[in-house]
Amino acid sequence: MAALHQRWWFWAATLAALLALPALAPQYVVHIANFILIYTLPVVGLGFLTGFTGRVSLAQGALFGVGAYTTALLTTKLGWAPVATLVPSVLMTIVLAVSLGGAAVRLAGLYFVMATIGIQQIVWLVLMNWIELTNGPQGVRSIPAVGLGEYSLETPQQFYFLALVAAGISYFLAKRVIGSRLGLFLRALSDDQLAASSVAVEVGRAKVTALALSAAWAGAGGFLYAHYVRFIHPDMFGLEPSVLFLVMSMFGGYRSIEGMIVATALLESATEYLRPFGEFRMIAYGMILLLGMMFFPMGILTLVRRRAGAPAAGKD
Amino acid sequence: MFDQLFIGGLATGCVYAVVGLGFTLVYRTLRMVNFAQGHVFMAGAFLGLVIAERVHLPALPLLFVVGAVAFALGMVLERLVFRRLYHNHEVFIVGSIGLGIVLMNGVRVFFPEPVPFPKVFGSEVVQIGAARFQEGYLWVVLSTLVLVVLLHAMFTYTRTGRALRAVAADAEIAATVGVDVKRAIALTFGLSFAVAAIAGVLIGPLYFVSFDMGDMVGLKAFSAAVFGGINSIPGTILGGLVIGVLENLAGGYISSAYKDLVAFVILLVMLIWRPTGLLGRETPVKV
Amino acid sequence: MKMRKLIGAITVAGSVAIAVSAQAQDIKLGVVAGMSGPGTSYGIGIRQGAEMAVREINAAGGIKGRKISLVVVDDASNPAQSVTAMQRLVNDQVDLVVGGWGSSQVLANMEVAERAGLPYIVVGATNPKITTEKNKWTFRVIFTDSVQAEQIADAAVRRLGMKRIAVIHDANDYGVGNRDIFVASLKKIGLDPVAVVPYQSADKDFTAQLSRIREANPDGLAIFGTIPAAPAIMNQARDLGIKARFIGTGGLANENLMTLAPKASEGTVLTTYFHEDVDPQARAWADRYVKEFSGGSQPPRPVLAAWEYRAVKFIAVPCIESSGTDKEKLRQCIGRWKGTLFSVPGDAYFDKTGQLVQQSVLVEVGKGAFQAFKGK
Repeated sequence: MAALHQRWWFWAATLAALLALPALAPQYVVHIANFILIYTLPVVGLGFLTGFTGRVSLAQGALFGVGAYTTALLTTKLGWAPVATLVPSVLMTIVLAVSLGGAAVRLAGLYFVMATIGIQQIVWLVLMNWIELTNGPQGVRSIPAVGLGEYSLETPQQFYFLALVAAGISYFLAKRVIGSRLGLFLRALSDDQLAASSVAVEVGRAKVTALALSAAWAGAGGFLYAHYVRFIHPDMFGLEPSVLFLVMSMFGGYRSIEGMIVATALLESATEYLRPFGEFRMIAYGMILLLGMMFFPMGILTLVRRRAGAPAAGKD
Repeated sequence: MFDQLFIGGLATGCVYAVVGLGFTLVYRTLRMVNFAQGHVFMAGAFLGLVIAERVHLPALPLLFVVGAVAFALGMVLERLVFRRLYHNHEVFIVGSIGLGIVLMNGVRVFFPEPVPFPKVFGSEVVQIGAARFQEGYLWVVLSTLVLVVLLHAMFTYTRTGRALRAVAADAEIAATVGVDVKRAIALTFGLSFAVAAIAGVLIGPLYFVSFDMGDMVGLKAFSAAVFGGINSIPGTILGGLVIGVLENLAGGYISSAYKDLVAFVILLVMLIWRPTGLLGRETPVKV
Repeated sequence: MKMRKLIGAITVAGSVAIAVSAQAQDIKLGVVAGMSGPGTSYGIGIRQGAEMAVREINAAGGIKGRKISLVVVDDASNPAQSVTAMQRLVNDQVDLVVGGWGSSQVLANMEVAERAGLPYIVVGATNPKITTEKNKWTFRVIFTDSVQAEQIADAAVRRLGMKRIAVIHDANDYGVGNRDIFVASLKKIGLDPVAVVPYQSADKDFTAQLSRIREANPDGLAIFGTIPAAPAIMNQARDLGIKARFIGTGGLANENLMTLAPKASEGTVLTTYFHEDVDPQARAWADRYVKEFSGGSQPPRPVLAAWEYRAVKFIAVPCIESSGTDKEKLRQCIGRWKGTLFSVPGDAYFDKTGQLVQQSVLVEVGKGAFQAFKGK
């Protein structure tokens, strides 16, 4: 795997395949690819939190929703241009995440998971019931498409390139963040709690930073989602997507951004390629999660790594 | 109105408490949260339904049979499934969520729509003060009481119970003094399945049974366990009752739209203020 | 390696999509609905209605010699998946879509149909916002919440003589939509509801809400919700000693209401989308339908099946016959459609928002079944 990454032809082929996809594949496949690219953002965001602080969050779906709702309400109710709402969406998501989760992120791992379930449900209930602000169960409709000058990204093919660029930027940014001092610091912290606790004051701040980063990615993802689907409803941001994002961030392999992206692709398209199972579709999906965790607890990419002879990633 | 809300909340609270016990039992032993717990509760209700429709059993034997079958199922699933998920809590969370999805959708294949449950606990309406409710509510409250007494007796006076407590306190020390830790863990899962299934049968006749009934109850029961102390049995019972009553009062006097918010706000505030819960002892590692 | 997996996943998805598409000459009729998830029973009814209509038309030689092939896509009763499902129908190049269950799902997937310029006849969603003048391509055959809620408000006061009406409603779009129109209609007649309380779709215990309602001492209780909450509310209301008569709209029009609340539902008056006893053709169709679809995993649910059947057979097919499959011509033809449908008294036609205007049906629960309402 590592060797493969360093080969230029691997990257060139990947890029060519990704660029050619909308021209070659049927629209429906492009549509699925768009969802995969959009979901890459919240999943990579979650990866910061999980991989670098050892914290698992089940509130990423809610934060994704906060981003989506912020842009949806700004564009439909106040008539802002979609491009102008990206920064407010991301900021709003960060503010909400830090104010609700800032205190909780200092808790030990499992207690933090519990807290995020509370956050998830609170955000969902407010989206559902604060009708004056969010339209409640009616959802927000007719969200405008993202426009670049005269050109507006309406069809799945047009949107694809925006999603691809966004996913690409988030991929490289994520790589940068991991390589940065903060990334190293956070990683050290989740590897060795004791050592990390000797620098206690900074640890708290670093964790909140990781939380803010993961929220920022979720908010940006929500922004894309709102302008692609162009109708949002509180149920799109319940516990179900949170679970899905968490699974996507773990299923590929710890701390591997590539693993997360592969898992996102595999699981997001699962609802489609499992269609032949008919009414047993969801059972098959649950089995994938269960068996995946039973037999590849360090992520499915360990299968590849093991074969390549490299030792599996360390556990926390 | 207060009486009605209070008694209704107490009965719901008992269900949260008993399902919450399932979380507590597993957490004490393994420091893991079993997210399939709510769906085990649902499956227990359907197990009761299937049995009650075939064999005409009075209420008590029915509860006993369902509890026993669920206990066995819990032991079997521990051996086949859970045992492979003990790596760390993330793996356990995702694995148990997967199991929950399988359980829920498996039941959905056979029962795609809500079904009425036979009125095994009678259908008379009882009046206490201004409150009116079905006999079934009394059964819920009394059975919870009996169950808690039985569990307490088992943990205090039986050899197995003491072994389980030893494992919960410290598995390594327990192993060195000759406790069969693997068996204790399997028994723990058996117990947690049994209590959840019994709760399912208790609630069945009051409402309907449907494949998605475990979702919200599971989350509320979880909140109850955390609120009272996820490593404390009395704490979980207290947590369930408090959340059940508070959310009913909030729904009645403040706003029923935000009724569900009560449990989760309590959960969040409690975790930040006192992560061990009201009656929990252990201090979590704060880093 | 990861690329190979990604491509693998996409190829699988793609090949499934291609496998469904039929011969080019066939007319392709798309059906989208929730055939898993909370809407299962409604979605399956919709699918059965479509199957029945298509089978009959094909047996009679199709449309000008062309057969109809059905493309059925499950949206799992989930708004996000509904968008994907409709995208799939667009990709499969269906000629039109007849179906859709659940207002949230339809509001989400109609955006795709509108953008693709695909005629879409909605069968199972009642939110008024689905049919507005902005939505060129979307039509709807069943009543909106507004018509139903207005009618039941009128019936409650004028025909059932209720004076103290309380409202309990689901906090979802269906419940909130109905509540708004119902309360407004009551006010127009000169009545204020004595209590209005919401609940969440997943609630099981309604003691809190019903205690408030009992305090208000109503003589009529309007329930705007669906199965299983609505029958649970009825049972618990009776346990609490609330004697008010229940009224409601299409959310209650499901046979499961009587299975789940056999005693409590007795006497409930509601508006419905379809009733067998309005005319003999409706009765004949319903008998045929029940006979054909009994014995499956789902008991037959005629209400939405009847609408799907009628929308396909009496609206979509005649339009394809006269205008062909050109989407713009097809859209105009549907917009101009006027005619009669069984179980609908008098003529029905689409207004300029694409809503089918028709007389509605009022029923009462009696002896465990929906009976045509015989009151004043």
